[in-house]
Amino acid sequence: MTLHDLYLLSPELSLASLGMVVIILDMVLRRKGVLAAVSVVGLLAPLAFSISLWGDLSGEPDGQMVGIFNTLVVDKFSLFFKFLVMGIVALVVMSSVEYVSRLRQFQGEYYGLMLFSASGMMLLAATTDLISTYVALELTTLPLVALAAFLRDSRSTEAGIKFLLLSAMSSAVLLYGMTLTYGFTGTTQLVEIFERLGASLDATVPFGSHALFLGVIMIVAGFGFKIAAVPFQMWVPDVYEGAPTPITAYLSVASKAAGFAIILRVFYIGFGEISLDWAALFAVLSAVSMTVGNLVAIAQKNIKRMLAYSTIAHAGFLMVGVASIAARVPVGETTLGPSGVLFYLVAYAVTNLAAFFAIIAISNRTGSDMISSFAGMGRRAPFLAIILAFAIVSLLGIPPTAGFMGKLYMFSAAMKSDLAWLVVVGVVNSAISAYYYLKVIRVMYMVDPEGEEKIHVAYAPQAALYITALGILALGIFPGPLMTVAEKAVAVLFR
Amino acid sequence: MLEDYFRQYGLIAIFTAIAVILPGSLLVVSWLLSFLRIRPSKPNDVKRSPYECGMELIGDRWPQFNFRYYMFAILFVVFDVETIFIYPWAVQFKQLGFFAFAEMLVFILILVIGWAYAWNHKALEWR
Repeated sequence: MTLHDLYLLSPELSLASLGMVVIILDMVLRRKGVLAAVSVVGLLAPLAFSISLWGDLSGEPDGQMVGIFNTLVVDKFSLFFKFLVMGIVALVVMSSVEYVSRLRQFQGEYYGLMLFSASGMMLLAATTDLISTYVALELTTLPLVALAAFLRDSRSTEAGIKFLLLSAMSSAVLLYGMTLTYGFTGTTQLVEIFERLGASLDATVPFGSHALFLGVIMIVAGFGFKIAAVPFQMWVPDVYEGAPTPITAYLSVASKAAGFAIILRVFYIGFGEISLDWAALFAVLSAVSMTVGNLVAIAQKNIKRMLAYSTIAHAGFLMVGVASIAARVPVGETTLGPSGVLFYLVAYAVTNLAAFFAIIAISNRTGSDMISSFAGMGRRAPFLAIILAFAIVSLLGIPPTAGFMGKLYMFSAAMKSDLAWLVVVGVVNSAISAYYYLKVIRVMYMVDPEGEEKIHVAYAPQAALYITALGILALGIFPGPLMTVAEKAVAVLFR
Repeated sequence: MLEDYFRQYGLIAIFTAIAVILPGSLLVVSWLLSFLRIRPSKPNDVKRSPYECGMELIGDRWPQFNFRYYMFAILFVVFDVETIFIYPWAVQFKQLGFFAFAEMLVFILILVIGWAYAWNHKALEWR
């Protein structure tokens, strides 16, 4: 541990310190409105450190800086996720201002826990060792559990307990998988796992070895829980429904992004030798997640539950990109699969956040999460309704939106790696999802409202709405710049 | 090598068998002796109590503990761990140098924040 190590960790450390500062201020200050402002402005510190680290990377010959006994790496891949997580946190804090001001106590803890969890996510994208991966994963999950149970009513408590028990269970499975991998390779370092696998694989067995077969499947199960993939999705609808709505938004984008970051790193770097085997596994999981998520979403009457199942379906779409690893094996080194995942994560973040922010603003007034309570919002809240409709169009994947470009990248990556059947499943699923997505738009514009009262939105949530809506449009029309950055970021996975 | 592996488990299996059979056979022998009237059966309150010596038992088996006890227990554990962490640090203090000193200060600072937080939220008052 040296000062240089501290510098490599500085974005995470400053973010965690910011969380502590917010909690201390909560004890001292009477005016709680300051806390949200401190949380957003304070993000400038980790942002500045991350930009400085990005600048330093250009001086490194292999594009990475390794620290803390080789367990942590700063490269463009981890920095990409740091920027993404910070952006998500800033937007979610802005949109929570009104929601949190109505909490009677623990307002500081709300922001503090969110920042702690974000520091875990940033760490997760930067780990190169199975043990530190596990620590970062727990740092991410535990604050989220407390946040899910934040409202302390029966639904929220149920959400917290379910989340806690099931994430403990999935951690246990993940650890068992890591143990088997360690038993087979004798190391927890991803790069060394890759090197040692090369020599000791048996081509006649799936995954090259029985121990590794079991280990990899258990690791997939542990990470599958994080990204809400079927069959590890049982917790998603209940937790999403019971948790405070801004936290649901945060869970659905940030936790998923961090989960995919670690999946890409562990599998592309650590298990690169057996990529064809786990690519097939992810392809099957992807098809099942898309189908189950979309079919069950049709029956939902609560919009938070509906978006929970839509999240599961989108995890399926994202896994198409993970499964497209086979693209690197034959001719033409293409990185479209993983860089498409990165693009899709950003696109999904702005889209889903826009949808959730509109829902938060509307249900703050109506006090209901039922789809039927959105009746006539086209007239009562034209601004919110149009943004919600736009976000839904992007979730559905219609141009000119970010969601369309994301799906385009995913599917072309799959085509290049001979996964045409997966593309067919994906396209059919997009068509199915149109049914329940468009139902919300129909309710908003074609059903008569229950009241005539207009819905007003405070400044900070309104700003968050504008930013996300602009993001959807910008990524839909000019996907190039982000895609270039994503390609630079995933270059470290291909060595 | 695999044989060695199973031999280890064989030892555990033998140990488990002895551990079950020995106390089990004592119970069976005692039960058999009761038929021969060698072991008399004269139960009374003192004999039937869970502990024959020590504190006298008070109340029911399922009393409700005050929930506040939990807060004190957590705070106690925090400072307990702190002591355990500081002890090896203090023994090696000279070799570790200034960096470890600064790190320990940071660690204690974080603990103090947690303690101030608990105090501020009245976790230290017995209500």
